[in-house]
Amino acid sequence: MGRTFLVYRLAVRDLRHHAAQAVLLVVAIAAATATLTMALSMNGVTSQPYSATKAATDGPDVVAYLTSTGQAKALVHASGVASSSGPYPVVGATIRFDGRTAGVFAQGRGQEPAAVDRPDVTAGSWVRPGGVVLERTFAEALGAQVGDVVTLNGQRFTVAGIAVTAAQAPYPNLCYFTASSCPPWLTVPGGDWRNVGVIWMTEGGALGLASKANPLTTTYVLNLKLGNPADADAFAQQRFVPFPQPSGSSGFTPPYLGPVFSTWDGIASADALLVQDAQSVLEPGALLLALLAIASVTVLVGRRLSEYARRVGLLKAVGGTPGTVAAMFLAENLALALLAAVVGLVAGSLAAPLLTSPGAALVGAPGAPSLTAVTVAKVMGVALAVALAATLVPAIRAARTSTVAAINDVARPPRRRGALVRMSAGLPVPVLFGLRLVGRRPRRALLTAANIAVTVTGLVAVLSFHATVNSRLGTGGSMIAGGLSDPVVTRDEQMLTVITILLVVLAALNAIFTTWATVIDARRASALMRALGARDTQVGSGLVVAQVLAALPGAIAGVPLGIGLFAAVVKNGSVPPVSWLAAAVLGVLIAMAALTAIPARIGSRQPVAHVLQAEAA
Amino acid sequence: MQQEVVLAMLAKEPSQGYQLRARMNDALGPLGEALNAGQIYVTLGRLEKAGLVAVEETPEATGPADRDRKVYVLTAAGQQRVAEWLAEVSWPRPDLAEFHLKLIAAAAARLADPISIVDAQRRELLRRLRDAQRAQMAVPDGSDAALLLEGIVLRLQADLRWLEACEANWTIRRRKR
Amino acid sequence: MSGAGTALLRARGLRKDYGKGEALVRAVDEVDLDVATGETLAVMGPSGCGKSTLLHLLGGLDRPSAGELWLNDRRTDRLSERALAGLRQGEIGFVFQAFHLMDELTARENIELPALLAGRSPREARRRALALLDRVGLADRADHLPSALSGGQRQRVAIARALVNDPLVVLADEPTGNLDSAATLDVLRLFEHLHASGLTLVIVTHDERVAATADRLVSMRDGALVDETRLTGGGRRNFADLLRLED
Repeated sequence: MGRTFLVYRLAVRDLRHHAAQAVLLVVAIAAATATLTMALSMNGVTSQPYSATKAATDGPDVVAYLTSTGQAKALVHASGVASSSGPYPVVGATIRFDGRTAGVFAQGRGQEPAAVDRPDVTAGSWVRPGGVVLERTFAEALGAQVGDVVTLNGQRFTVAGIAVTAAQAPYPNLCYFTASSCPPWLTVPGGDWRNVGVIWMTEGGALGLASKANPLTTTYVLNLKLGNPADADAFAQQRFVPFPQPSGSSGFTPPYLGPVFSTWDGIASADALLVQDAQSVLEPGALLLALLAIASVTVLVGRRLSEYARRVGLLKAVGGTPGTVAAMFLAENLALALLAAVVGLVAGSLAAPLLTSPGAALVGAPGAPSLTAVTVAKVMGVALAVALAATLVPAIRAARTSTVAAINDVARPPRRRGALVRMSAGLPVPVLFGLRLVGRRPRRALLTAANIAVTVTGLVAVLSFHATVNSRLGTGGSMIAGGLSDPVVTRDEQMLTVITILLVVLAALNAIFTTWATVIDARRASALMRALGARDTQVGSGLVVAQVLAALPGAIAGVPLGIGLFAAVVKNGSVPPVSWLAAAVLGVLIAMAALTAIPARIGSRQPVAHVLQAEAA
Repeated sequence: MQQEVVLAMLAKEPSQGYQLRARMNDALGPLGEALNAGQIYVTLGRLEKAGLVAVEETPEATGPADRDRKVYVLTAAGQQRVAEWLAEVSWPRPDLAEFHLKLIAAAAARLADPISIVDAQRRELLRRLRDAQRAQMAVPDGSDAALLLEGIVLRLQADLRWLEACEANWTIRRRKR
Repeated sequence: MSGAGTALLRARGLRKDYGKGEALVRAVDEVDLDVATGETLAVMGPSGCGKSTLLHLLGGLDRPSAGELWLNDRRTDRLSERALAGLRQGEIGFVFQAFHLMDELTARENIELPALLAGRSPREARRRALALLDRVGLADRADHLPSALSGGQRQRVAIARALVNDPLVVLADEPTGNLDSAATLDVLRLFEHLHASGLTLVIVTHDERVAATADRLVSMRDGALVDETRLTGGGRRNFADLLRLED
């Protein structure tokens, strides 16, 4: 009982004594857990809000595309059908706005809310004469907002509102399952199956879109709700009408009259495509961040190590068992990790909506996506694992060191590297000092290199993504002709931006931690150099040189790693041009130098005597 | 000039006055130059009167002056006095020079192991230090007695340090032999 | 160096080597030592002679390369780290030259530390700590941090800490090494009190003043015990004897 009380007391005191370091540790781990939370909630976002949308809009279980209203009667009265709405006329048209062109399937609707499929209006109002309501993802891609004027088949309409529906897949995946969601007799305006969006307007308005140039293709859409939604696939299978075969000697193929069916799970899968890409980007991103977090934690914890060794020795000398000592060491760091996990969970769940809205076709995104118990458990687990990974080895080592050695703080002396000393002798003072500093603590230099490598890997992966997008733009692959922005790409970019920002923040934090640790470690050496005649600018520059030298191999290694990582995630991606890569590497090194310069400057300002006396004490 | 020191110097072998003076100068180094040349003869005279030393006249006495011709030798009484003196332990006497010469004489004449002399002295001083400290702890801090006792303690400590140096030094000399 | 029956602490053939081959350093060389219950033993020697290493071995802070060690008739040289910790919780108290107090704990909390480590309840630990603070004369400084205490006061806190679990023996490594004359006297007074109350004390020191308080003094040189002096016994002198004015 006394032992647990003691562990608690020592942990609290120590944290209070070193509050700044504790905060930094929490920040480092929180950044990683925030990303992870976003990734995991994205998982929830795709499956749940489709259901939420379906519930909110009274979405259909089966959507039937008909060639005549007569086909509706049989379906409406079929067994298993609980309710229905429609049939509504659907007209293909071309929309133009702000220089962009796309195809639309315009549904004619009435004012009254339908029994099945009541699109949820998220902005503006429902259909009215002269007005159109755009599907939300389509509106985002088109760049149109409520009040804007669009042209449909040459006629001008005002955007009356923006809505979401569960009856059709969001742009650009409306015709993902071509045969069932975009019936073959419906010509796709512009010929691009991806560049089609859903809009709603008055029946009169829809029928009025027909002209000599655009004869009306008679299509009707019927929304069905089944007694048992699970029967949707069976229902569709039963009523599936096969394509007609050429008959007779003339080889005449009668027209296909349908109906064709689209089921709710098909729509749900198409929905998921919107965020699948983003999620596949998120996981490697989270991994990179976790690596950086581990590195930060390692540096922060390592800084405290010699201090810890002394405390450990003391505790052992007054009767602490190795178990108690290790427990103490871990307790503090794990407590911080848990706190960081909570902070990360909150931050991540608050930030996740940024990725799923605005413009998401999925209802339920504004506000926090639901945090499941599983998500919370996973995030906590990761935070603890990160803390453990970085602190376990030092904890065990500290507990097993001979008490005497620990208490007298026989810190690992810097290694002597004769060759390095000789080689650097003739070089300018900053380079001389920098080289020798690197040689003193090779492991620290390695850690710096690793940090930078991870950062550059992330940056290069992002650059590769942009290069891929650019090249596809040129060949018209996944990019959409007509000038609309691809919502998938938009989301990917949002995701990558968030990750890049986090990467850069964490990398900057890392750079600051390692620099600060190096500066403190080199304090005595720096003071001695100054006492022997070096100027403080030379000494400061030496520290910068040391950090940049350590970072350089990491930055260079990050390039192939980043390209490799991207290639592993995205097939047939492009490699960024050399100029971009060079800019990334140089940028990182310059940033590193800048970040180093500040603590280096501060460190070299202290009067020499103070430093040497303090070290001797 | 402590009489016993001169006696001890004679313990090794009968010597003439100037030989004794030479031996002293060797032992004392630059400090020995301060010694008055005639002082040793005065001491030898006193010792002769006390019956501790006898004069051996030799017909072939060389040397410029009469007194230099004399050869001095320890009597039985003298030898006993030397033995007693070597075994004596006290404080604050003997002074540095005296103790130093005691050790050298004992080694030269092989009368006693200088190291055991040092150990005996050390033991004595430690006991005195213990008593002085006990007394110091018993009197009020800052009193006159406390101040005097502090002085005694510090001197004892200083002497003990020198004795350690003697021990280290003589141990090395012994190894060399 | 005998007294097999009453010896609290016994060492036979104790050896500690560092390094290998040509660079081998024998810090402690075949030391045999007995410490009787209630005795104060001082170990003196020049710096580098191995006396601190010897003390570390006796206290289980380090493992001997060879030899046997008994505490209260129990073999201690082969114990696991965990068992050694147990020793330090109950039987052995250690006092260091550099005090080694925890900077972020108050005097009282520092003293409570070993008691809590031994599993005592916080209330019990607090009670013991306050009693010891009284005993070392620092009751009014209980809630001060070490940075607010003088060297002598810190060492007294360290001694109190070594006593909190009622050890059988206290091992002190240069306890007055960092202290001035007045503070040294305070610590020596404390040691005298502890000796009078029956505590066994082994003190490593190069200060003759400290050595003079012991019952027995052993000297070390180059890792081996070379001398032993018994300081107790012999008639008590009176004050006048101490002061023989020079004649």
